[in-house]
Amino acid sequence: MTMEMAYYPGCSLHASSELYDIQCKMVFRNLGIELKEIDDWNCCGATAAAKTDDFLAIALPARNLGIADATGLSEIVIPCSSCYSRTLVSQKRLSCDPELKDSINAELGQKIEGKIKVSNILEVLRTKVDSGELSEKAKKKLEGLRAACYYGCLLTRFPCDVDVTDDVENPQGMEIVCKVLGVETVDWGYKTDCCGASGSVNDAEQSQLLMSRIFKDAVARGANCFVATCPLCQFNLDAYQDEVGKKFGIQQRLPVYFITELIGLSMGFDPIQMQVDRHLTNAMPLIKELKLI
Amino acid sequence: MSTKTLKYETSSAKSLVRDIMERSGQNLLACYQCRRCAAGCPVGEETGVTPDRLIRMVLLGEREEALNNLLVWQCVACYTCGTRCPNNIQTARITETLKQMSKEAHLEPLKPRIADFHTSFMKATEHVGRFNEIEGMGTYEAKTAIKELRKGDLQAVIDEMMGQAKLGMKMMKKKRMHFKVDKVKNISEVKALYRKAKQGKGA
Repeated sequence: MTMEMAYYPGCSLHASSELYDIQCKMVFRNLGIELKEIDDWNCCGATAAAKTDDFLAIALPARNLGIADATGLSEIVIPCSSCYSRTLVSQKRLSCDPELKDSINAELGQKIEGKIKVSNILEVLRTKVDSGELSEKAKKKLEGLRAACYYGCLLTRFPCDVDVTDDVENPQGMEIVCKVLGVETVDWGYKTDCCGASGSVNDAEQSQLLMSRIFKDAVARGANCFVATCPLCQFNLDAYQDEVGKKFGIQQRLPVYFITELIGLSMGFDPIQMQVDRHLTNAMPLIKELKLI
Repeated sequence: MSTKTLKYETSSAKSLVRDIMERSGQNLLACYQCRRCAAGCPVGEETGVTPDRLIRMVLLGEREEALNNLLVWQCVACYTCGTRCPNNIQTARITETLKQMSKEAHLEPLKPRIADFHTSFMKATEHVGRFNEIEGMGTYEAKTAIKELRKGDLQAVIDEMMGQAKLGMKMMKKKRMHFKVDKVKNISEVKALYRKAKQGKGA
């Protein structure tokens, strides 16, 4: 049975991380969820809004929440960690501040009601693990992959009290999904450390130092790939790995897979259709070598 | 960190603390300097300022230093400090507030690139409602290049352009560049929110 779920891709899934958008739709459809992209959404403001304007940091995601509430659907899934965090924080803030909510609603055609459930991608995937639907659809065991599951900051840490859906210091959502796919996971120390986020552009020295720690620990623990859910974390580890590796004397280069790529491979999807060949740290050789495609 | 003797002015310290507490929503007075935040801060070592030190600066009324130190600019808003704080103080909210106050006080940021990036991001978003990487990055690069050329630092501009060109080529090769401009149709709503923000009617 197919159910409909509201979907907020955010700016990066419409641009450099379009592959993640494609993969999310493919994987969710096969799991019986039709993603309905909400109409005419705007940028959530990401970290830039929080750093420059407290009102916009709440108001920008609020407009999307109004649109999402108007769909009448009960749940919205947001794969990008930053978009997810900003939207969830906005919803929470508005639930405690009716005056601010009214002030924002006054500008909106579709008013915020605050009733739609805001979910991250792992939350939804875990329901499909629990129901057995994931193991039913993801048949191929991806043997030989030893993944360092990388969560980054914004899936489990928030600037205010919200319901956190996983363990804050040692989240397990990705490990649980990986287990179903036959992907081995490593225990490591940097799964929730920061990759530097937009620092990769505006503060290269610092973000590269942060990334070097992540790469070093993953290699030391014997991982042969990363798995991520956040498009910015994925992009940073993917795009800057070679540069950081050279600078910090790290020989190994590990592909950085989106969780949807691993699920898709296990479901038997074509890696080219999923655009696995578009990674900036080549992600094809490892899965070929392990005869997973 | 400053090595000079601290002068403690009760009234100015009080107004600074109040201002920051109100704007950030964080109870700075609850900090008892346990330094759990410092242990987890990924940038404390390099910036030389950890969240507990920043809070202390504010409590002591060190306005200038609190408004413009490396932690304010290089805090990555990872929220580790606040998550581990036994008193639930989210210092990333404090650094966000201090960045805004620093701008309002017309201080030249210690890390102008970081400030310019976020301003360019918000400008690009205001323009069409969504962040288009090419437009946003273009605005940002132009902004920083002009500043660096004014300072006579041509080498910094060249290095930056070379680095970005290299990444751009790599992305082109892998078909990761998107030239289509993604727009919000009902942009007047987004602009109305921006207007409201400028009028200071918000949070």
